[in-house]
Parts: sequence; C-alpha cells; structure tokens
Amino acid sequence: MAIANIIATIDQNAQSFPKRICYEDQGQTYSYETLKTTSDRVAAFLQAQDLPKGSPVVIYGGQTFAVIATFLGAVKAGHAYIPVDTHSPKERLIQINDVAHPGAVLEVESLPVTLKGTEVISAATLKAVREDTTGPTAYDASVSVAGDDNFYIIFTSGTTGVPKGVQISHANLLSYVNWTLSDFDLYPGIRALSQAPYSFDLSVMDLYPTLALGGTLVALPKEITDNFKDLFAALPELKVNEWVSTPSFVEICLLEPSFAQAKYPDLTRFLFCGEELTQKTARELLKRFPDAEIYNTYGPTEATVAVTSVQITQETVDQYNRLPIGQAKPDTLIYAVDEHDQKVANNVNGELIIAGPSVSKGYLNNPEKTAKAFFTLDGQQAYRSGDLGFIDDQGMIFYRGRTDFQIKMHGYRIELEDVDQNLLQVSYVKQASTVPRYNNLHKVTQLVAYVVPNKNDFESDIKLTQAIKAELSQNVMEYMVPQRIIFQDSLPLTANGKVDRKTLIAEVNNS
Amino acid sequence: MDDVRTTVLDILTDLTGSDEVKENPDMNLFESGLLDSMGTVQLLLELQSQLGVDAPVSEFDRSEWATPNKIIAKVESMK
Repeated sequence: MAIANIIATIDQNAQSFPKRICYEDQGQTYSYETLKTTSDRVAAFLQAQDLPKGSPVVIYGGQTFAVIATFLGAVKAGHAYIPVDTHSPKERLIQINDVAHPGAVLEVESLPVTLKGTEVISAATLKAVREDTTGPTAYDASVSVAGDDNFYIIFTSGTTGVPKGVQISHANLLSYVNWTLSDFDLYPGIRALSQAPYSFDLSVMDLYPTLALGGTLVALPKEITDNFKDLFAALPELKVNEWVSTPSFVEICLLEPSFAQAKYPDLTRFLFCGEELTQKTARELLKRFPDAEIYNTYGPTEATVAVTSVQITQETVDQYNRLPIGQAKPDTLIYAVDEHDQKVANNVNGELIIAGPSVSKGYLNNPEKTAKAFFTLDGQQAYRSGDLGFIDDQGMIFYRGRTDFQIKMHGYRIELEDVDQNLLQVSYVKQASTVPRYNNLHKVTQLVAYVVPNKNDFESDIKLTQAIKAELSQNVMEYMVPQRIIFQDSLPLTANGKVDRKTLIAEVNNS
Repeated sequence: MDDVRTTVLDILTDLTGSDEVKENPDMNLFESGLLDSMGTVQLLLELQSQLGVDAPVSEFDRSEWATPNKIIAKVESMK
C-alpha cells in the first residue's frame, strides 16, 4: 500500500470507517470521525485568525488526543506545527519561540511562561473550538500543507546552546510513511503503542503509519511510565500489537519477568529507533517473544525518523556482537566518507551520508548550520549525519559512534557542547566540559561534567553541585542535566588550546 | 545489616553522583531529580547483582522507594 497524501489518507479513513477508534488514552476512546471533525474545526478556526500565511505554529501539550487533532488541524489550515511537550523547561519554550518566530502558539495545555511578541491561543479557546459540535468545519484545503511545505518542525539540541529546528516537509514525511507501510509487515487496524513524547521524532514512527493504516494509537504517558508499579499495571491492558520505543524503554519492561508472549499474546511487532539496540536486549526479547518480529532501525531527525531497517532474528544476534542498523530504505542512498569527503571502501568506517527524498531541507531560520550539514547530491537532498559507521558487502550498515561530541543517552540526542554552553550560563561556573560515561555495552549511562567553579561561599561541593543543577535545570531538558559534577582547578587542554575532552572521557571511563 | 546499608548507599552515590545520599538519607531522590526511570533501572540491577535482591519491578511504587532510608529498609526486608 502506498499513499499519496497524509491528510487525505487519514480523512479517507474517517469516511471508510467513521466509528473505528483512532486514539485511546487511559480507557478514553476517540473515533476517526471525531478526529476528522475536531481537526476540521481547528483548521477552520486557525484560518479565521489571520495568521501570517504559511507560518509555523507551536503546539504545546502532552500525550493526548487533543494534541493529535490540533497537529492535523494545523497542517490542514496550512501551518507546520512545532510540537513542544509539557515536560519541557520554560527556557526551551523561549528559545524555540525566539528561533521559530511562530505565527501563534496553540495551548492545548496552558503555557508555564509568557512569550513576548507571539500570539497565544489559549487552552480554553482551543478546547471550546474542539468541542463545539455546531462550530464551523469548512476550511480552504487548497492551502493545506503539501509537497515541499513544512509539515512539522522538531527542535533538537544544537552545539551553541541554541536548539535547531529540523524542517520536515510533507514530501519527506510521505517518503518515510510509505516505506514504513511497505517494509515493516504492519497491517490495517493495528494497535500501536504511543509512548514517545510528540516532541521527539520517534513518536512519528507510531503516529502517521498507524493513522494511515486506520489503526489505533494507544497512549502511555510519562506520568505512568515514571512509576513502574503503574507502568506494569497499565501495560497488559493496552493490548497493543505494535511496540515502538527506544531500546532503553523496553529494557525497563524486560525487568519484569511476565513481560513475555504469554501475557501479551497480541504483541507481535517491535520497532526500535533512537539509540543502539544491544545484542543482549535483542536476545532477551527474542526469548520472551519468540513469535514477534523485531526491527532495528536508524535515522537522524534530519532524515525523518529512520532511514535503515533490519529484522533482528536469532541468526542476527548469533552472528553479530554489535547488531546491524539495517539497509537503506529503497529510495535513499547511504554511504560512508573519510575526512576529505571521499567515499571509503566497504567495511571501512566513515561518516555516514544520507541522500534521498526524506532528507530535510534544513534548519529553520539557520542558513549557516544548514549549509554545514546539508548539500545536494544528483538532485537529491543529502545530510552529513556526523554518525560513524561502515557498510558491508551486502549493503548492511553498522553504527559505530559519533564523529563529533554528540551522544545518545536513553534515546535522547545530546550535544555535549550544548550542555557545556548551558553550564557556562550558570552563575557559579567558570569553565565546563561534559563527558559521557559508558557501560560495558557501549551505552551512555551518565553525563559527567568537569567544572571549574567561580569563587563561591558554598560550604561543600555537594551544596555547590545542587545549586548548579538547580540553575541549569531552569534552562535545559531534564535529560541534559549531568548526573555528576567533578570540580577541578583547571581543565586539561589540547595542543591548540581547547579543552581536551578526549582525556576527560578516558579519565571518567577508566575509573 | 550494616553491609546492606553501606552497599545501598554506595550504589546510590555512584548512580546519583552525589554524596548527598549519605549525608541526608531521608531526601526524596525522585523529587530532587537525583534518580529518574533509567537510574531506577540501574539501581534495581545493582541491587540484584551486588546483594542478590530481586525487587519485583511490577511492584516498584516510587513512594515506597523514595529515600535512601526507605530503599535500605526495603532491601533489608527482602534479604
């Protein structure tokens, strides 16, 4: 099955089976018909607001049906959406607002901060629009997002402490969704787990393929996953067929012995992305769910969710200590280059270059960073991933790390320089260098910050650590706050005078 | 019993990167942001490998494991 337009496909599903459930949130269900009328009302309302034509809108909310309906309403009205999760710190909202100049901020939930100079459409207004069953649903579909128009913009960590907005067009998303529909053995009406926050592009892996298939998204919000007792009470009740998460999240679930086929007979598809799937986790999962199909995938946000996939079988885990990330999707070319931009031979490590129709046009309002990371190759948009890997003689791709100081921790992408920049904003910090601590499976388990403090009156390092963490967490996501801070009088330098992060990495991983 | 206390506090110190857990064993690890979901997973794995304690994750209620002292009491009750 291949689709031509995402909005039209979802609306067609509402016509074909209006009463079918598209979203389930802790027992509350919503039909495709409700999704269509609600998103139509949001679209009609937005078009009546006289927002700057084609401007993106920030949508602030959690893991709810209202958020999904607002996403669709925005793209129907002709506006790309910027999803911002309710667990984001205030400063991130301010930074995103400053970079994006959105036409409006749509509060599905109330903002924790005032955004100067930006029109805010209140939670109460939007709720009234969504729920007014007599409200207008007619909108001008000729301006709906299509082709190269941006569909969504997801903000990622940037090296200078300012987040970068990755622009994903309808064409980018369509390429991704069509590949997912054809290569992952998913089926119409499938029930899919919706656990990843919508501001993290892993969520797109469940969102649009499921809605295109006329399936049901089953929400599992952070409030539940955070408390394991609640998580394991909720999990068997979800009755999902398809699991989409980071490997880290499934590793939590594997701690529970009953997380296995016998208790979850309907769960037959696992899709992983966001970080390395270890052989150990895959082996355990195969043992627990012998009838399930397990897919490992890989892809940066800049190339729309994922661009490689491979089914992980018993043979795969027996053959490789570090699992492959798969082969490139058919419309996409992936190759590895050396530091002089020359293609390297098979089985030789290089930076992975991704070229194809799902590669983003670049970063919103950031031509400098766009020019550094993107280029055109034979008429296709191409992206320098910064990921290190090699391709074997069969075209199977293997990930081996980063060429720079970006890391993945628990699925979250973190630029170490970004953490440093934000640490330097903290009043007690004079110099800072953040490094990852790895476990024996090459996974990052902690961020450790080496800090040269300013003169201060704190009675102990512990008090100083607490004060730094408290100030830092005003500005960055929770996952970017280092677990440990080590205080030093000075930081080691390289020959050309930069902080020698590699020495610090070696130090923290040898202790 | 002191062994359990020492081991648990050492594990928590390593996971949180802070000696605070030893000095203030009644502090709330979750509210203070010292322990998140993945930190909790590592805690359970360390308790299993270092102390042989199999804490059933499905009964892991944050409120019952919220402070170093509560964790020590839990572990001692399961030894």
